[in-house]
Amino acid sequence: MPFDVSLYSIQAVIVLDNAGKRLFAKYYHPPHGQATDELATNEKKQFSFESSLFSKTYKQNSDIILFENKVVVYREFADVIIYMVGDLNQNETLMYNVLQGLVGALEIILRNQIDKKSIQENYDMTILAIDETVDDGIVLETDPSVIASRVSKPPTEDVANIKIDLSEKGLLNAFNFARKNISDRLQQGF
Amino acid sequence: MSTHTYKKFEDIDSGTLPDKMTVYQECLQAFNASPIHAKRCRLLLSRLLRLLYAGETFPKTEATNLFFSTSKLFHHNDSSLRQLVYLAIKELCSLSDDILMATASIMKDIQGGDILYKPNAVRTLARVLDGSTIHAAERAMKNCVVDKNPNVSSAALVSSYHLLPVAKDVVRRWTNETQEAISSNKVFPQTQYNMHEHYGANKLLTATYTYQYHALGLLYHLRDHDRMALMKMIQQFNTQQPLKSSLATVQLIRYVGKLIEEDSNLTQTLWPFFPGWLKHKSDMVELEAARTILSLPKFLPEQQMQAINTLQTLLSVPRTVTRFAAVRILNKIAMKSPEKIMVCNLELESLINDANRSVSTYAITTLLKTGNSENVDRLVKTISGFMDDISDEFKIIVIDAIKTLSLKFPDKHKSMLNFLNDVLRDEGGFNFKNAIIEAIFDIIKFIPQSRELALEMLCEFIEDCEYTELAVRVLHLLGEEGPKTSSPTLYIRHIYNRVVLENSIVRSSAVIALSKFALIGNDSITKSIKILLERCLQDVDDEVRDRAALSLKLLSTKDIEQAKDFIAPTFKYSLPVLEQQLALYVNNPDKEHFVHPFDIKAIPTMTEEEAKAAEFKEKTTIYDEPTAQAHESSPEEEKVPDSTKLALLQQQYAQELGAIPEIAAYGRLLHSSAVVELTEKETEFVVTAVKHIFENHVVIQYNVQNTLTEIQLEDVSIVAQPDNEDYSEEFLMPLDVLKAGSSGSIYVSFTRPEGIVPAVFGNTLSYTTKDVDPSTGEPAEGEEGFPDEYQVEDLSIVPGDYVVPAFTGNFTHAWDELQNESVAVFNLGDAATMDLQDVVLKLVKTMSMMPAESTDVVTSGSSHTLKLYGKSIGGDKIAAVVRLASSSKGMMMKSQVRSSDPELSELVANYVE
Repeated sequence: MPFDVSLYSIQAVIVLDNAGKRLFAKYYHPPHGQATDELATNEKKQFSFESSLFSKTYKQNSDIILFENKVVVYREFADVIIYMVGDLNQNETLMYNVLQGLVGALEIILRNQIDKKSIQENYDMTILAIDETVDDGIVLETDPSVIASRVSKPPTEDVANIKIDLSEKGLLNAFNFARKNISDRLQQGF
Repeated sequence: MSTHTYKKFEDIDSGTLPDKMTVYQECLQAFNASPIHAKRCRLLLSRLLRLLYAGETFPKTEATNLFFSTSKLFHHNDSSLRQLVYLAIKELCSLSDDILMATASIMKDIQGGDILYKPNAVRTLARVLDGSTIHAAERAMKNCVVDKNPNVSSAALVSSYHLLPVAKDVVRRWTNETQEAISSNKVFPQTQYNMHEHYGANKLLTATYTYQYHALGLLYHLRDHDRMALMKMIQQFNTQQPLKSSLATVQLIRYVGKLIEEDSNLTQTLWPFFPGWLKHKSDMVELEAARTILSLPKFLPEQQMQAINTLQTLLSVPRTVTRFAAVRILNKIAMKSPEKIMVCNLELESLINDANRSVSTYAITTLLKTGNSENVDRLVKTISGFMDDISDEFKIIVIDAIKTLSLKFPDKHKSMLNFLNDVLRDEGGFNFKNAIIEAIFDIIKFIPQSRELALEMLCEFIEDCEYTELAVRVLHLLGEEGPKTSSPTLYIRHIYNRVVLENSIVRSSAVIALSKFALIGNDSITKSIKILLERCLQDVDDEVRDRAALSLKLLSTKDIEQAKDFIAPTFKYSLPVLEQQLALYVNNPDKEHFVHPFDIKAIPTMTEEEAKAAEFKEKTTIYDEPTAQAHESSPEEEKVPDSTKLALLQQQYAQELGAIPEIAAYGRLLHSSAVVELTEKETEFVVTAVKHIFENHVVIQYNVQNTLTEIQLEDVSIVAQPDNEDYSEEFLMPLDVLKAGSSGSIYVSFTRPEGIVPAVFGNTLSYTTKDVDPSTGEPAEGEEGFPDEYQVEDLSIVPGDYVVPAFTGNFTHAWDELQNESVAVFNLGDAATMDLQDVVLKLVKTMSMMPAESTDVVTSGSSHTLKLYGKSIGGDKIAAVVRLASSSKGMMMKSQVRSSDPELSELVANYVE
C-alpha cells in the first residue's frame, strides 16, 4: 500500500437531488498544483460520474460504496444525497467523520431540515458550511457545531441608507436642509 | 425580464438554474451601485455561486469583470456579506485575470478585520498569491499561524500548505511558528457559538485541536528530507505531548508507515507506538494503525495478530462505514495469508446478512478465502443456509468464490458439487444458473476425478431445464466428456431423451453429442448410435436432419480418424485472433481482395492442453477488490482476460516481424518472451527488450523511448555483444530518427545454435543527439549534433525463453512418466531479506512454467514446495519440483527437473537468476 501522506484527502463534495440533478458539486484539486485525476477537470466525466453514482446509491441507504476506484461515503435524506469522494486508499472512517461534520452543521443551519427546498433557499449558508468543512481537499474541521458557528446568516434587512435621525440635532439638520433648498429656489425667482 | 427569472428561481420545484446572463448583468449592476445593498448583494452572490457550482463557467473577460465588481463589495462593512464575497473571490480566482489587485483589500482584513471573516480572508489570500508575491504576506501569515484563535491558525496553516508547491522556501521561514502551533493550546473564544440560536444536541466544544492536524501536515513537508528530525518529531508527539486530534494522529501513523516502508529496519523501533493506537478512542485511528501494520511485511506475526484483533472488535460496531473498512482490510489479508484471519470467522459469519451489500459480499468472499481443507465443508454448509435470503446478483459472486475454492482444493469436490447441485435446483434467473453451470464445467475440466458425479448431476439438470442455451451447453459437454467415462451408455440414454422431448435447437445439438459416442471404438455402441441417428433423419426440423445425415455419412466412412477430425477435433482455433483476422478480412476496402478465400491456416491453433493451461491460470487468479468489480458493471470496463491479451500480443509480434522481409524468411515465430526492462523507468531513454525465438534465429527487439522533449536522436542503434560465440550477429535494423517524446523499435538478429544455449548480451545504445527547436519540433538546419553512447543493462537468454507454460491435471502422474532427472541445490542468500511468496512468483516467471496443484501460493512461513509444468518449444514435456526452505543460513532452493530431453532438464535445473 502506498502511504499517502498528503493532506489532500477529499476529492469532491457533491449534493444531488432525488432525480440525480446537481445541487452542488465541487471537485477539488490543489490550488497551486496540477490535478492528477482527470475527474477533477473534465466536466463531462464529472456529470457521467454523478449520474452513474446516483443510480448505484439512490435508495440504497448503505453509507459507503466503492465506485470507479474511489471511496464514496454518503448520506441520503428525504430528497437530497450528500456525497464525499476520496481516494481508494483513503481511510473510510476519516471521510465519514468529515461527512458527519458537514451533515451535522447543515442540520444546525437548516434547523434539522435537510431537504432540497431548504438547501436552495439557504444556498449561501449551505456553501459556506461546505467551504468551512473542506478547503480545496483539505479537511478544515469535523465538529458540526464548530463548522456551523463559522457560517454567517444573511443580513436581515436592507436598511434604507437614508437613516431617519430623530434626535434634536437630526431635526435641526433637516430644518437647515429645507431652509437652504427653499431659499435657493426663492432666489431663482420662484 | 429580470422579475421573470427572479420568480422562476424562487420556484424551487422547477429546479431550473437562474439565467447566466441575467445573473451576470444583475451582479455588475448591484455591486457597482452606491450605496451597496448588503442583503441583495449576498443573494446575488449566492446565485452566482450556484451557477458556478452547477458547472457553468464564464469566459475570461466576463469572469474578470465579475471579479472586479465583487471586489467593490469590500466597501461595505457587513461581515456576513464579506464572508460570501471571499468565497466568491476564491471561486473566481481560477477563472479571471489580474487577481493580484485584490491583495490589498484582503491584507487589510487579515490585519484588522472582524474575526468572523478573518479566516476566510487568509484562505482566499492563498489563491491570490503566487511564488513571487508571497513575500508581501510573510509577516501576516506568521502572525496568523500563531494566532490564538484556532480557526485563524488553521486557515493560515492550510493556506501555507496550499502554497508549498510554489513557495516552499518562503513557507519554510515559519517552521518555528508551525512547530509552536502544534504544541500550543488554542481554544475558541466565548463568542464562537453566537451565530445560531439552535445547536441541537451537539456538544459545544471549547477546542477541537484540528489545527494540530494542519500544522503536522505542514511540518512534515517542511522536514521531509530530514529523517532524524522526523523520528524526533514522531517520538515527541507520542510521549511528551500526545496529539489531541484524531485526525493528526491518523496523519502521524501515515508518516510512521511511510518511514517503515522506506526503511524496513525501523519496524521494530517504531512498533512500541502501535499498541496505543490500536486501542485509541477513535475508530479511524484504530483502523489506520491496523491497516498500516498489516500492509507492511516486517511486523511479527503476534504484532499482526494484535491488529487483527482490533479489526475483529470493529467488525461488530454499529457504524456501517467502520465495519466496511474493517472487513475490507481483512479481505485484503485473506488473499495473501488466509490462515491469519481465521479467528474472525465467527464475526465474519454474522456479517453475511449485513444490511450493507458491500459489507456482506466482502464477508462472504473473505470467508471463502479463509477456507482450508479442514473447514471448507462447514463453510459451505453455513453458506447454503443463507443462500435463500440474498439476491441473484449476489449469489453469482458466491458461486464464483465457491468455484475458485473447489479448484484450489480438488479433494473437496464432492461437497462443492453437492452444494452446487442444491442451488441448481433452487429458483433463479438465467445468469445465476449460468454461473452454476460454468462452475460445474470448470470442476469437470480441472478435477478429472469429479467427472462422473458431475456429469450425472448435469444429466438430471437437463431433464428439467427451462433455458435452451444451458441445455445446449450441457449436451455439448456430455458429448465431449461422456465418451471418456467408464459407462458411456448411461449418457446416451439421457441425451436421446432430449432428442425425443425438446425443441429443435436442443435436438440438433443432442445429435452432434450422440455422434461423438460412436467414436469410442466399441462396435455395439457405434451400431446403436447409428440406429438412433437414422431415426433422427425423420425429424421435422431440417437442421436436425442435416446434422444427423452428416454424422451418419462421416461414421460410415472407412477412415475413422478422418471422421474424428470432423466430429471431435483435438485442437481449437485461437478465437481472439480468429475474430481479429476475420474482421480485418471483412473490412478490407479493396474488392479484389475477396477473390482469395479467407485463409484459416493463418490462424494459430491451440491443442486442448494449451487452452486449458491458459484458462486455468485465469480462473484461479485471485481477483482483487471483488466488490468493486461487482459494483462497477459499466460495460466499457469489460476486462480482457490475460490469456487473450497474451495471444493478441503474440499475434501482433508475429505480424510486426512478418512485415520485415529478412525476418519473415526465418519461418514461424516459436516464442516471444515477456518484456524485459533494461533501464529504470525514469531515465532519459527508456529501453525495454523482447526476445523472439525462431527455428534457427533469435531476434531481439529493443524498444527505445525518448522521454526528453528537446532532444532528437538520430542513427539510433544497439551494440549487442553476446558472451557466447555460438550466437553470431546476422543484421541490425537501426532507427534513423527518434523524435522528441516518441518511441521506436530496433531489431537485432542472431543465428541461434541448436538446442538451448544460455547467453548474456551486453548492450550499449549509440546515437547522435540534436537539440530541437521547441517551436517547430525540428532540429535547426545544419546542426551536426554530437554522437553519444549509453550503457544499458545486460539481457540474458535463459532456458525459460524456450519453455511455454502448460497445464496438467495430474502432476504426479506427469512427473512419474518423465525421466532424465537433474537435481541442483542453490543458496539464494539471506532469508531475512526475501519473502517466500516473492521468490516463488519470480521463479514461476523466470522458468516460464505453469504452477500445478496451486503450489504458487505459499501457505507456511518457512518452507514451500513448488510444482511446475511446461513444454519446450520443441515439444518436449518438462516438469519441475522446487523445494524452498528458509533458515538462518539463508534461503535454500533444491530444484528437481525432469524432461523428455535430458539436456533441457539439466539446463533448467541449473539455471538460477
